[in-house]
Amino acid sequence: MDGKFIQDSHKTLADLLWRLNYISDVKGEKNWGGIDEIHKDIQQIQNYFFDIPDEKLIESILVLEHRVKLVEDRVYETLKPLDFVRITRSPQRFTTIDILENVYDSYTELGGEADCNVDPAIVAARATISRKIKGKTYRHQVMVIGHEKGSGEEYRNGGSAKPWGNEKALRFMKVAEREGIPVHSFIFTPGAFPIEDYPGAAQQIARNIFEMCKLSVPIVSFISEGGSGGAEAIGVSDIRLMASYGYYSVISPEGAAAIEGKIREGQKVPHELVEMCANSLNITADKNLKLGTIDRIVEEPRLGARKENFEFYKRLRFEMISATDEIILRTKNLKLFRSYILEMNEKREKGLPDDFDIQINWDLSDWESRKLLNLRSKKYRDIGSKFFTEKKGGLINAFKIFKDRATEGYYGIKYGLIRPNQRNIQRVIDDVAEEGSVILKTVAGKALTSIEKPVPHKESKAEEKSVFLSDWEGYFSPLVNEDGAVTCPNAQKYGCVDQWIPDLYGEFSGVCPTCGHHFPLEYHWYIKNLFDKGSIHEFNGNLSSINTLGFPGIDDKLNKAFKDTGLRSSMITFDATVEGIKVIVVMSVSDFRNGTVGACEGEKFVRACDRANVSRRPLLAYIHTTGGIRIHEGTVGVAQMPKCTMAVREYIDNGGLYIVVYDNNSFAGPVASFLGCSPYQFAIRSSKIGFAGPRVIRETTGQDIPPHYHGAKNALKRGHIQGIWDRRQFRKNLYDALITMGGPNLYYK
Amino acid sequence: MSKEKVLIANRGEIAIRIMQACNHLGIDFVCVYTRNDEKSLHVSLARQKGEKNVLRISSYTDPNEIFSVADYTGCTAIHPGYGFFSENFRFARRAELRTAPLIFIGPRWEVIRDLGSKINTKHIAKSLNIPVIPGSDSPIYSEEEAEQIAIELFCLQKQAGIEIPSILIKASAGGGGMGIEEVNNLDTFRRAYRRIQNYARRQFGDEGVLIEQCVSDYHHLEVQILCSQHHEIVHFGTRNCTIQSAGRQKRVEIAPGFDPDIFEYTFDAREVLNKIVNYSIKLAKHVNYDSVGTWEWIITRDGNPYLMEVNTRIQVENEISARISRIKGHNPYPNLIKEQIRVAFGDRLGYTQDDITFEGTSIELRIVAEDTQRNFRPWVGKITRFEMPDFPFSRVYTHVPGDKSYKIPAEFDPNLALAIIWGKDTEEAKSHSKKFLENVNIEGEDGIFVNNPYLYKKIDEVLRF
Repeated sequence: MDGKFIQDSHKTLADLLWRLNYISDVKGEKNWGGIDEIHKDIQQIQNYFFDIPDEKLIESILVLEHRVKLVEDRVYETLKPLDFVRITRSPQRFTTIDILENVYDSYTELGGEADCNVDPAIVAARATISRKIKGKTYRHQVMVIGHEKGSGEEYRNGGSAKPWGNEKALRFMKVAEREGIPVHSFIFTPGAFPIEDYPGAAQQIARNIFEMCKLSVPIVSFISEGGSGGAEAIGVSDIRLMASYGYYSVISPEGAAAIEGKIREGQKVPHELVEMCANSLNITADKNLKLGTIDRIVEEPRLGARKENFEFYKRLRFEMISATDEIILRTKNLKLFRSYILEMNEKREKGLPDDFDIQINWDLSDWESRKLLNLRSKKYRDIGSKFFTEKKGGLINAFKIFKDRATEGYYGIKYGLIRPNQRNIQRVIDDVAEEGSVILKTVAGKALTSIEKPVPHKESKAEEKSVFLSDWEGYFSPLVNEDGAVTCPNAQKYGCVDQWIPDLYGEFSGVCPTCGHHFPLEYHWYIKNLFDKGSIHEFNGNLSSINTLGFPGIDDKLNKAFKDTGLRSSMITFDATVEGIKVIVVMSVSDFRNGTVGACEGEKFVRACDRANVSRRPLLAYIHTTGGIRIHEGTVGVAQMPKCTMAVREYIDNGGLYIVVYDNNSFAGPVASFLGCSPYQFAIRSSKIGFAGPRVIRETTGQDIPPHYHGAKNALKRGHIQGIWDRRQFRKNLYDALITMGGPNLYYK
Repeated sequence: MSKEKVLIANRGEIAIRIMQACNHLGIDFVCVYTRNDEKSLHVSLARQKGEKNVLRISSYTDPNEIFSVADYTGCTAIHPGYGFFSENFRFARRAELRTAPLIFIGPRWEVIRDLGSKINTKHIAKSLNIPVIPGSDSPIYSEEEAEQIAIELFCLQKQAGIEIPSILIKASAGGGGMGIEEVNNLDTFRRAYRRIQNYARRQFGDEGVLIEQCVSDYHHLEVQILCSQHHEIVHFGTRNCTIQSAGRQKRVEIAPGFDPDIFEYTFDAREVLNKIVNYSIKLAKHVNYDSVGTWEWIITRDGNPYLMEVNTRIQVENEISARISRIKGHNPYPNLIKEQIRVAFGDRLGYTQDDITFEGTSIELRIVAEDTQRNFRPWVGKITRFEMPDFPFSRVYTHVPGDKSYKIPAEFDPNLALAIIWGKDTEEAKSHSKKFLENVNIEGEDGIFVNNPYLYKKIDEVLRF
C-alpha cells in the first residue's frame, strides 16, 4: 500500500464525513435518511483502516461514496425553502474571508483583524480583483465589505453586525467613494444585532442606507444570507447578485411563524407553521428574482457551495467583474453596453469563461457618477411597483388622478421654472443693495417687496381663536364617552390622581396633568388638531395594499382591515396647512395592520416625497405607530427601505425639510431607513422607538433589557431623535420647526 | 326643596356656614372630613345632625372620592365652598356631565372656565370697553412678540412720568400669585420671560404668558354680584380689601369700598364706585352669570379703575357686603350663601336692585395664627384657650372649638376665626372693631403668635388712600 493511496483514502473518508455532517446541517436533523448508519460504517473503516486489504478498502469506499451520493440525491429532491436557510447557516458554507482569499488577489483587512476588531461580524478590506485578457492580467482596486459568519468562532456573532460594525462599513464605503473605487459587498447576516446603543441598530442602518443611496461609486452586492434590515445596511447596490442556495427574507421563518401563530414567548413554535412561513415568504433566489428584489442569480454547485468549491469562486469572480463592468457601461455609451451584456450572457450560458475580451476602466467621470446615481435611483424606485393596485376606474378616481397630475405640473412650472429665477433676481438685488447705493437701495427695496413672499404670520389668525374657548369645542376623541376614571401608570411614582375619562381624553389631550404621561390617542386626533381646519386634502388614496406574495390568510385579513378602517393601506398621505404653511404629510397609522409598511405604503411615501419636491413644501412624517415592514410582503417589503430612503434623500438633497415625529410605537425597518435618516426627528412623550422589541432582543442576544430601553428619552440620549415633544405643544413645535429648520428650497423661504 | 341633599366638599368655617345655610333652607346635607380634621368644629356640628351625615375621606382634593361619597349618600348637589374645587371648572363640568349628574352650587362650568382665565376675562372685558390693566390681552407664545409688548409698556410708563417703570410677567393659566415675576429692567426681560414660560409649561401644560404693567400704588376693591338662572342681576355694593399680608392674603376687609363722607380722595369716589359696579354688571350680563361672584378691581391713586379678575365663587368676606345690605320685606340682612344655594337650585331672586338699600359700615377681621413681625410666618401648634367676645354688633365664624384645646392641622392655612363687625358709620365700625379685638383671648402652647395686634393697628388705615 503506497503512502499516496493511504493519504487519499483517508482524505476521501474524512470528506465523506463532512458531507454527512453537511446533510444533517441542511436538513436540521442528526439522522436524516439514516445517515447515522453510514456514519458508523465510515468510522468502522477508519478504525480498522490498516487491517482491511486494499481491494476491500477501495470497494468499501466506493460503496460508501455511492451511499452518501444517494442520500445527497434525496436531499436535493426534497429541498424545501427552510433547507436553504440551514444551508446558508452551515459552518461549511463559504464566507466573506473565503471569498477574499479565493476571489480577490491580495487583500488587506481594514479596521481590525479577527477578534481584535470593532465588530468582528463585519469585515472591510481593500482588495484587487483581476481579469485575464488574452493571457494578460489586469487588476482592479475594490473595497470589499461583508459580514463574516466565521466558521464557528463565537466572536463573529454569526455575522450579526452591531451598530458600530455597520458604522465601520459605512466609513470604508466613504473611503471607496473618495478614492473612486467600486464597493463589493457580501451579505451573510441573519439580521442586525438589535441593540440600542450609541448609536442604536436602527439609527445606524438608516444612516448607512441614506449614504449608500448616493454613494457615487458602483456598488455590487452579493447575498448568501440576507436577513432583513441587517442585509440592507450594506446591501444597497446598483446590481444585486444572489447565491442560488442563499436566502433573502424579511424575517427568519421562525420569527414569522411566532408572529403568525401569535406564539407566546417560551412556547414552542409548531414545525409545520415554520415550514409554511418559509414557503410563503418567498425567500429563495429564484423567487426573489421573480419579485425583482435581486438582479441575477449566481449558480452554486448542487446543495450549495462550500469552502472547498474553487470552481464557484471562479464563477463568483466572473460575476463580480461583469456586474461592475455592466454598471460602469450603463453610464457610458448605450450601444457598447448592449453588446457587452449580450456577450456576457452568452458566455454565462456556455459555461465559465477564462478570459474577458475587453478591459473596462472602472473610473467614472463626474457626469458618469451622476448618471450612475440616477440609474440607482430609478432602479430602487421601480422596485415593488407591481405590488399594489391603483384604482383608476370611476369618475371620482379619474378626477383625483387628474388633480394629482395637474398640481404636479402646476408646481413643476411654478417652482421649477419661475421660483428659481425669482430667487436669482433677488440674489442679484441683494448683492447690489449691499453695495450701499442709496438710489439702488430704494429701487431694490421696492423690487424686494414685490417678489418676497414672507412666511405667513401667526398674528393674522390670533384674532379668531381663543385658547380657552376653543379647546372643548374642537375635536375630541371618541374615548371621552365614558363616565369613569383612569389610573395613570405612574401613579405610584408621582402620586397622580385618577383622571376622569372625559377630562383626560378631552381637554387634557390624553396627557396626565400631574406627571405628563401620554396615553395613546387615535390618529384622527392629530388630523383634527394639528392642521388648520379644512386644509386637509388626501392624495393617492386610491392606492391599495394587496397580498403581494399570496400569503395564506392575508387576503381575509386585508379585507377586514379595509372594512374596519376605511383605509386602503396603513399610510395616509395628504396636503395640509399649519398656521398657513402648506405641508405634505405622511401618516402611518396603527389601525391598519399595525402600521406596517409594504409596497403600497412605500409607493405612497415615494410619491409624497416627489410631491413635496415639486411643490417645494415641507414633508412631515407623523408615525402614529409602525410595526415595521409587513412580513407578508417578504423582500418586496424590505426593498421599501432603500426605495423610500432614496426618494426622501433626493428630497432632502434638493433643499427640502423632512420632519419625522414618532408616537406610540415605532420599530424595525421603517425606523432603520426612511424615518431614521431624517435630520429632524422628534418623538411624542411616552412613545417608544427602536429596532426590535424586547422579546426579539431577549431571543437573539439572550439579554433582558433594562426598563425604558426603547423610551423616547433613551432615543434622545443616543442622539437618534432631536427632541421630545409634548402632544399639547405639537402644533406649536411643528410650526416653530417649519419656520426655523429646513433647506433653502422651501417655497416660503 | 326638601328632597335635595347637599354635599359640603370643604372644611372649617365655610363648611359651618354652609351647614347653617342648609339648615335655614331646610335642606339635608352631608359633611366630609379628613383624619387631621377630626377635631374640627365642623365635624362635631355635623355630627349633631346625625352620624350618617359625616364621612371621612382621605383628601379634600380628590374628585373621584368626593363624587363617590356623593353617590353613596345620595346627594343631589355639591357645595364647594371656597378654595379646593370652587373655581375648578373641570370639577363643575364633571358634576354636570357625569351619568348621575349633580348640581354644582356655583356658576355654570363654562362661566367658571371663561372667567377663571385672567387673560380671557381681560379679552372679554376689553371687547366691552371695560378698563383693564395695560398689557397683552391674549397669551403670547413668541419671544419677539413679548419683548415688543414689554418695550411698549415701558415707554407708556415713562410717558406717564413713572420713574421706575415696572411690568409683570404672568403665566396665563396661573392664579393666586403663582407664576408671576416683576421686571424693572428691559435687559432682564427675556430671562424672566423664559423662566415664567417654562414654569407655565411645566405647571399648567400651557406656555401662554401674559405681560402687563405693574401697578403698585392702588386700592383693591371688590363688587359683590348675585345673579339667578333667570337673568336677574343684583349687586350688594363694594368692599375694600387693601389691607393684605405680605403674601397678598387679605386681613381686613371693609364695606363699602370708599367713604367720601369721612375721608378725602383725590378723585370722585362715589363716581368711581358707581363705575365699577356698572362695569361689573355689564360683564356679568354679557357672560350670563348665574351665581354669586366677586369682581376684583384695582383703583389707582388718580382714581382709574382697572378690572383685575372675577372670582366665580362665594368669598370669605361675603358677609360684610350682606351685613350692610337690607332687602325690602326681608329681615334681617341677607345671607349670600343661602342665596347662592337657592339660585343654584333654580330659584328666582324674588327682589330687584331697587329693593336693596345699604346701611352702615361693616368690617371683617381675619384672626390668623401667624407671626406678623416675621413675614406672616404661619404658626402651628395647640390652642389651649380660645375666647371670642359676643357683642350685638359682632358675629364670629370659627371652626376652633371654644370648650377644648385644638391642634391646628399643619397642611392648611392657620385661619382661626372671622369676625364680622358692624357700625352705623365707618367711625363706629372702627371703634367696634377695636373693642372686639381688645376682648379676644387666645392662648396656646409655647409662644403662640396670633395677628390681632396687627389687625388692631391696621384698623386706622382702612379706606384711607
